[in-house]
Amino acid sequence: MRQLKINLPKCDGGRNCEHECEEVCATKMFKLDDRSGAALHIEALADGQSSAILCDQCGDCVTVCPADALTRNKQGVVMIDKKLCVGCYMCIGFCEKGAFERNPGWLEPYKCTACGLCVKACPHAALEIVDVPVPAPRII
Amino acid sequence: MSHSEAGQTIIPCAVDYTQRTEYHEGLEAIRAAHRVLKETTFTPSLPQKGYNDRTLYVDLTTREIREKPVTQQMKDLFVGGRGFGLWQLWNAVTPGTRWNDPENEIIISPGPVAGITQYPGSGKSLVVSISPQTDIPIDSNVGGFFGPLLKFSGFDALELQGKSDRDVILFIDGQKGIIRIEDAPLDPVDSHVLGEILTRMYAEDEADRTNISVVCSGAAAEHSLIGMLNFTWWDKRRGCVRLKQAGRGGIGTVFRDKRIRALVCRGPVVKADMNHPVDFETLAKTGIKLHKEIRTLDDSQCKMRRNGTAHIVEIMDAYDLLPTHNFQYGSHKDTHQIASPVWEARCSQMTVDGCWYGCSMACAKGADGLVLKTGPYKGHMVTVDGPEYENAAGLGSNGGIFDPDYLLELNFYCDTYGICTITYGTLAAFTMECYQRGILNLERTGGLDLTWGNAEADLEMMHQMARGEGFGRIAGQGVKKMKELFIANGWGDPQLINDIGMEIKGLEYSQYLSKESLAQQGGYALTNKGPQHDEAWVIFMDMVNKQLPTFEDKAEALYYFPLFRTWFGLMGFCKLPWNDVAPADNSTTSEPAKIPEHVQNYLDLFTATTGIAIDRETMLMQSARVYNFQRIFNIRMGKGLRAHDLPPYRSVGPVTREEYESRAERYDKQMLEEIKVDPAGRTLDEKIAITREYRMARYSKLCDAVYARRGWTPDGVPTMARLKELGLDVLPELVAIVQAHGG
Amino acid sequence: MIQVNGDPLEWTPGMTVRGVLRAKKYNFPLLVISIDGNQVQRADYDTTPVPDGAVVQVIHLLSGG
Repeated sequence: MRQLKINLPKCDGGRNCEHECEEVCATKMFKLDDRSGAALHIEALADGQSSAILCDQCGDCVTVCPADALTRNKQGVVMIDKKLCVGCYMCIGFCEKGAFERNPGWLEPYKCTACGLCVKACPHAALEIVDVPVPAPRII
Repeated sequence: MSHSEAGQTIIPCAVDYTQRTEYHEGLEAIRAAHRVLKETTFTPSLPQKGYNDRTLYVDLTTREIREKPVTQQMKDLFVGGRGFGLWQLWNAVTPGTRWNDPENEIIISPGPVAGITQYPGSGKSLVVSISPQTDIPIDSNVGGFFGPLLKFSGFDALELQGKSDRDVILFIDGQKGIIRIEDAPLDPVDSHVLGEILTRMYAEDEADRTNISVVCSGAAAEHSLIGMLNFTWWDKRRGCVRLKQAGRGGIGTVFRDKRIRALVCRGPVVKADMNHPVDFETLAKTGIKLHKEIRTLDDSQCKMRRNGTAHIVEIMDAYDLLPTHNFQYGSHKDTHQIASPVWEARCSQMTVDGCWYGCSMACAKGADGLVLKTGPYKGHMVTVDGPEYENAAGLGSNGGIFDPDYLLELNFYCDTYGICTITYGTLAAFTMECYQRGILNLERTGGLDLTWGNAEADLEMMHQMARGEGFGRIAGQGVKKMKELFIANGWGDPQLINDIGMEIKGLEYSQYLSKESLAQQGGYALTNKGPQHDEAWVIFMDMVNKQLPTFEDKAEALYYFPLFRTWFGLMGFCKLPWNDVAPADNSTTSEPAKIPEHVQNYLDLFTATTGIAIDRETMLMQSARVYNFQRIFNIRMGKGLRAHDLPPYRSVGPVTREEYESRAERYDKQMLEEIKVDPAGRTLDEKIAITREYRMARYSKLCDAVYARRGWTPDGVPTMARLKELGLDVLPELVAIVQAHGG
Repeated sequence: MIQVNGDPLEWTPGMTVRGVLRAKKYNFPLLVISIDGNQVQRADYDTTPVPDGAVVQVIHLLSGG
């Protein structure tokens, strides 16, 4: 399946860049005003390293969604069907990575679709799209 | 056996949960036989701040269908849910109304918060009627889709009166704005079949099935007083209907007596904000907070997502509180055969088991792939909703049955036949003890060998009930009427029969052993509807934690908890997410037993939906109005005084020699330390009598303390002062009843 | 001898909170435990010692029903 992957040692945590990944995701992909609404988040840590929150398409949200609004597309990416979504936010609550997003102005939550825009935008080439096996669903 | 530890791999159930016997072959013929007897249109609406401000009234005799307004007084005094139901029932009946008179009603009402999709346990309704078992109002809570879909069609309650001259289906189409009464000559009766067929029939396509909910009963409800209502929801992943129940009190019997075959509601596609809440953000934030809490803590707390309420089977057994052999004992060597690890493996785990959207507690576990051994569906493969704790204890240990497949089959047939599992469990256990003691025998049971653990005989009794014949028909009258019959027939000692028949006011006990907990004796006996544990469940607080040492402490608990728990039924909330999961820091709060952060969540959700400010005091006032109104309603119908709040001795202390001997150390110790009588030198029968006298006197003292705390007279009548405090004195009928009884 | 919820329980050397729970067959999942007024967190049940003469409270949170 298509999966966004970050190479944390290469990631700058925004110290010497403009958070281009978050910017392009929030503004170009999701048409939001600023990067805080991006479907990935990077952070500079005190010890000089970086951390990132991003969706690895694990599929836990697919398992919990009571409306069956979350499915994998042909590339194995977990996508939300907004017509089926009932706005219960169990996906947000059950995402262990904190990678399912919510905009207070929208009823339906949203997430990374492995579109690759952030990969192109990153000045440190810290991001890439990889192809990995779809993980087996787990009991949660 | 203990729980599987957190992180341990569970071997998932290998059953394919999409496979089962299908029933929709005859669908087209059934549909073709429907004739529209009455059709009317309405303008669908969505609630504003939780209320549509109208209810739907249907008279099955005349087929009149009309809307009634929700008045401000209704909202102020009764709020919604159970409050609305009791109010409409009050106005429909007279003191002389019997359960099968046409003017008796069935009212289904969700509540202002019902239908939000963000917070676990927000889809519930309360169903109210005059009970065939008690002759007073019964209030029965139920999960699932019907209530929210009814609200999103445009109605805050559905009020059914009258009786049809033929079996009919009432169809409410909240998408098209149509209400139809159709006759149903070919429709099946049993819920697992009827629910499937009607869901497929009334849905316009496969995707629409999730917008359909069916209310129906079953064959046994037609021949017994213990019928219940199933409320269906469409399980997308399994591809079948699931059943939740409005179980207690026999409302299914009223339903079938009115010749309602089913209610069907087709609601609009559900979205996040259809209650038009004042403050959606608070709903979203609070819901997400609870989902996270359940995700991180459920596995190390109650494992509701894995086992539902069955997680407490082994716990009750360990504390000697699991009802065994008709509440004689509290544990059994075979309990591990029906304990939660069995169900964790047996119930499918990769499914969505919340009975309304957003319920991440997801306790409605399902056991798939059961091939039935008995009855009209023998050989069929079915999905069983359950077992819940009450089913495992009631149908299982209380009857001495510890085979999980038979337990599932008993559970299944209760559900599809439309009878309450709690009620059936207790009455079956009663028949088995009567059989044990020679009050019943093979001749009297018509050949049913009702020995402890004989699941085949137990199932056959149920099948007879569904066919309306044999001893099953007698059993279906319930414990109270069986007691009367057995005594009238001279089949046994009247005192023994009365002592071991676990019912009060005509309603059977639910599955907790109150014998050693004075507080729980009150928790069961000092209830409005009868001995159902949804008012006060204080066994652990009393017996184990020893937090209620004095009568005043017990009275305080029996004042607070019934009021607190009543509140859920005004709103549309399920109580399980209140305390079957607790925040990580809960133990550091001042009153951890009340789970204060969750209480605040509920207050926030109410205000966020309705815009009405509320705190803990006003919350209790809302409940107290409805609770006291129900008490006065009971008085009006003839069973609301102290004399009616009397428990059978089995629920208070040891009836028989074996019972005394099974806990002799405990009872002898109590005799020495509390009764101040030396057990040495006393015969067993003397000790039983001494213990009985002491315990019944204590119960009477508890009554005094509880009534006083509730603002009632020593005879259990709400006082005028209490009525004024609650603002209920604006209803002159209430004042008249209270004053006529010395209140 | 220690006290657990007001009842006496035989003390053994090296007794831990977990040992008390086992002796009393307390397997309820939601507990609030304190020893002489000091709360013990769940993660520490196996390692927290219970001294002889201690007054132990094991509050079971309602749940159920």
